[in-house]
Amino acid sequence: MKKAVAQFAALVPIALLIWALYSLYSAPAEPPADWRLHMTQEQHDLMVAPIDHAFRVAAYAVTWAIQLGYLAWLAMRWSGQKPVAGRK
Amino acid sequence: MKKILFGLFAVVSIGLLVWAFELAVNAPAEMMQGDAYRIIFYHVPSAMVAFLFFAISMAGSIGFLVLREKSLAKALAWDAWAVSGAQVGIVFCTVVLITGPLWGYRAWGIWWAWDARLTTTLLLWLIYVSYLLTRRFAAGPQMRTSSAVLGIFGGIGVPIVYVANRIPGQHPGPVFGGDRASGMDPVILRPFLWNIAAWMCWGILVLILRHQFELKQQAIAAHEAEQSLNA
Repeated sequence: MKKAVAQFAALVPIALLIWALYSLYSAPAEPPADWRLHMTQEQHDLMVAPIDHAFRVAAYAVTWAIQLGYLAWLAMRWSGQKPVAGRK
Repeated sequence: MKKILFGLFAVVSIGLLVWAFELAVNAPAEMMQGDAYRIIFYHVPSAMVAFLFFAISMAGSIGFLVLREKSLAKALAWDAWAVSGAQVGIVFCTVVLITGPLWGYRAWGIWWAWDARLTTTLLLWLIYVSYLLTRRFAAGPQMRTSSAVLGIFGGIGVPIVYVANRIPGQHPGPVFGGDRASGMDPVILRPFLWNIAAWMCWGILVLILRHQFELKQQAIAAHEAEQSLNA
């Protein structure tokens, strides 16, 4: 039972990793450099805001994927440990 | 009693992380980097925790080497801290090495630069990966001794990584204790400090779990050795 829970918990980091990759993949492309000549700083900031957001989301999701992935791996190894007979 | 205290600490750590996340996503956007600067709230605290745990690993390695011929039980207790610190430290250092390029790409337009801070951090990570590989694949009684020596070399690398951003390069200079231009706006400093506290508590929580696991592993190994001697 414990092992099944640990294995199920391992799905969460995988989902987070997919989310991070999707966030990067679906981010809009950077506007071409020569466009900057024809737009104000405000317009440029508005154009790049979704890209910045996508990178921030990806960084946070990857962080949690690594942290929870490690915990799930530790839980799986823990549940797979042999009990020590005659010890508490 | 210990379990209750650990449970309470776990609740406080998770609560702190939720609170720190709330502060991080609601902190005002930075003028030059927009939303991408918020990666600092995960990147820098992770580096701090990694450095602390590598230092714990070094202390554990020194303790093991000093005590291994006097008291094996005490030496193994130190060794448990050494391996736990190294492994959890690698987890946090991996976070640093992945979130760094994500932030760097938005801030600098490139994923990676071979400047002093980035290169020394990668080398530190590689030293501790080799530490864990030594423990995994080296056979015989010298396994712990060899890995302890590597652990000490890794620990020596931590202050080198720390001062590496004082060498001019792509990575920004120190935010605290740097030149006159260093420092942080109080509006950003508050969520930053909360995130440091939250990640530090989370790191300690994971370190305690990993340490308990290692103690259990040692007990199993001792029991198996005892059984094979009796057989």
